[in-house]
Amino acid sequence: MTDWCKKTPLEWKDYVNKEVKVTSDEKNEHQGWVLTVDPVTANIVLVNFLEDSKMSVTVVMGHAVQKVDILDEGNDEVKERLTYLFMPEEMKTFSTEDLEKRKNNLKSWLEQNHIPVTEQGDAQRTLCVAGVLTIDPPYGPENCSSSNEIILSRVQALIQSALTH
Amino acid sequence: MIPGSQGWESRMDMPVPVIRLPRGPDGISRGFDLNSPRYQALGLKDYKELKQEQKARTVMREQYLRSLLAMVGQPVCFTMYEKVTVMACFGSADIDILNFQVSELQTPLGVQREALLRCPDIISYTFQLSPQHTGVQQELKEGC
Repeated sequence: MTDWCKKTPLEWKDYVNKEVKVTSDEKNEHQGWVLTVDPVTANIVLVNFLEDSKMSVTVVMGHAVQKVDILDEGNDEVKERLTYLFMPEEMKTFSTEDLEKRKNNLKSWLEQNHIPVTEQGDAQRTLCVAGVLTIDPPYGPENCSSSNEIILSRVQALIQSALTH
Repeated sequence: MIPGSQGWESRMDMPVPVIRLPRGPDGISRGFDLNSPRYQALGLKDYKELKQEQKARTVMREQYLRSLLAMVGQPVCFTMYEKVTVMACFGSADIDILNFQVSELQTPLGVQREALLRCPDIISYTFQLSPQHTGVQQELKEGC
């Protein structure tokens, strides 16, 4: 077990969106922008931007990491590119105003149906139903998550009927 | 009737304490209440810090799982221990990322149609991403 694997998620988060050089077992060296660190395995996902908007993704397994050095603290442009890299297509097609509108429509629809709903998360983007179900942008039936499958299917059906209403 | 059961009963001089287990999750929550005095008595982590940590954990895990999803069906180059480098088409991973299922594994002894790679044997893996990779995912989903 290396020092890297013993770090906490908050410590790993400090490396996200920064350019690093990773030294791994057998003297391998990898360089790139940190997209994320898997909190389960401590695997580091590095992204390198190539020409004609291609990208190369290298993942260094957490157990093989020996040393991580930060080369560049990064900027907002890189952060933006990395955040939306693997996001589903429908996430990108909505503007912030569109999302706000969709959220408010859905919120009022749920309230009309006597379902308690609150806003939470970063910039109140996530809708929370009765504290047991969350709806993330862009607020479709497939964006619901809950550990209670009965509530999940009811709310999904309700959102579906709101779309066809 | 168990023979001699009366004798056994009479021999139990010391009363056995009844252990009362803590109340379990109430069905709508995901575990014990972090605000409860019982949890706080454990002296684990500050509630606020724990929330922050969980948030960071979910965001980073989601990104990692999405990176695996983007890798499905792509040729991936695996760098393994003992200076072994192999190419294969990525299929899937198990939930705790202990094995990768790959197809068309190009080994020095020939091409293996289907194979499982043990993750502890891997040092790193690399794949290329074209700008339309999300479109590729969509096709895969429709194909399934």
